[in-house]
Amino acid sequence: MVQDIRQLLITTITEKKENYYRLAYSYVKNKDDALDIIQESIKKALISVDKINDSQSINSWFYKIIVHTALDFLRKHKKVTLADVDTLEFFSQGHEDDYQNIDLQKAIDDLPVKYKSIIILRYFEDLKLEEIAIILGENINTIKTRLYKALELLRIKMD
Amino acid sequence: MDKKLGKLKDHYMDIPIPKELDDVVNRALQTSTKKRKVAYKWSIGTVAAAILLIATVNSSPSAANAMSNIPIIGKVIDVITFQEWKEEKDNQASMDIKVPAISGLDNSGLEASLNEKYIAESKQLYQEFTKTLAELKEGENANMAVTSGYEVLTDNDSIFSIRRYNVITQASSSTEMQFDTVDKKNQVLLTLKSLFKNESYIDVLSENIKAQIAEQMKSDPNKIYWVSEDDPVRFEKIDRNQKFYINEQNKLVIAFDQYEVAPGYMGPVEFIIPTDEISDILVGKEYIK
Repeated sequence: MVQDIRQLLITTITEKKENYYRLAYSYVKNKDDALDIIQESIKKALISVDKINDSQSINSWFYKIIVHTALDFLRKHKKVTLADVDTLEFFSQGHEDDYQNIDLQKAIDDLPVKYKSIIILRYFEDLKLEEIAIILGENINTIKTRLYKALELLRIKMD
Repeated sequence: MDKKLGKLKDHYMDIPIPKELDDVVNRALQTSTKKRKVAYKWSIGTVAAAILLIATVNSSPSAANAMSNIPIIGKVIDVITFQEWKEEKDNQASMDIKVPAISGLDNSGLEASLNEKYIAESKQLYQEFTKTLAELKEGENANMAVTSGYEVLTDNDSIFSIRRYNVITQASSSTEMQFDTVDKKNQVLLTLKSLFKNESYIDVLSENIKAQIAEQMKSDPNKIYWVSEDDPVRFEKIDRNQKFYINEQNKLVIAFDQYEVAPGYMGPVEFIIPTDEISDILVGKEYIK
């Protein structure tokens, strides 16, 4: 049973690795860190594979791990950059990979993380609200409210 | 609005997928497929063409000397580096595996079985290293370093604890630890379970560790453990055979591998259990004080 789920997990990760990468990237904004998030998430997932009790939810479960790992990463780096002016400058100047259309992208990047996550998962990754609720560990009504709020914020920024 | 979201999605989908992604994913999937074993699988290339330099399998004279050098007075158990395999290759691969050998135990069966285990596990590590290199394509760099060694943690009147480690560095590194603790008076290998009267130790130790984690995270915001309520892989309980040792102060130490309870950058983590917390359920006061 655990072996089957492990195999399923490996298959899922292999098939959807590009989706996972994009999601990781959307948090950390550069290739190297995004790859680190992917690597760490996979190790984390394989070590805890016996905690999956529903093979249906493997995809959401792995998205959830990515979100958590990315947030842990941001949390850590925020602390580091606050502590060190040079690092802060380094990160703010040169660390982000370039975007083709800054304005449009900026609108979404400027959203607080909790709103940004919902927009990405709902509209870019095409996940159902139920799945997003699992991934973000909130109940579905909270997710709905937050999605509405996110769209509103986005509209103000883009108009 | 829908149109704008569509545009945003296009941008999102345009996030370039780096060519390294495949490698990172494959390697991560392979290195962790065997849970809690010394064995690691490395990336699989195809053609076997890497030029292998000399494999120096090293049963050195100094090791032989150390073998005969079992002290008569003082500490009875002696550990020496029985073998060392060391290689440095021109395709960015290096290996240093030190195999410990224990001598001086009265229980020669136990001594032999520990030593055999050390040799077998080191051999496996060595073979996987050479196999990985053999699978590289010609001209491809391995960018890999394997370091394996040991450290005597405790050697007092009643207890002998040894830690062995494997560090595998490939882009990022992963570290794995193994521990053996021997009761010197009774000449037996201790298990975690054997220290306690009953199974309640799992909960008692887990609760104490969780409290320590909470304390650490509170006092140092850079420390992160996977414990939050909604973390999909949060730490809940120790394993019945969780890795452990007994330190020089006769305290029980519970050990976790890298990635077991915390993000990779935290490395392997250890928790010293205050003896007061467990004195009720300890079998005796002999080992842990």
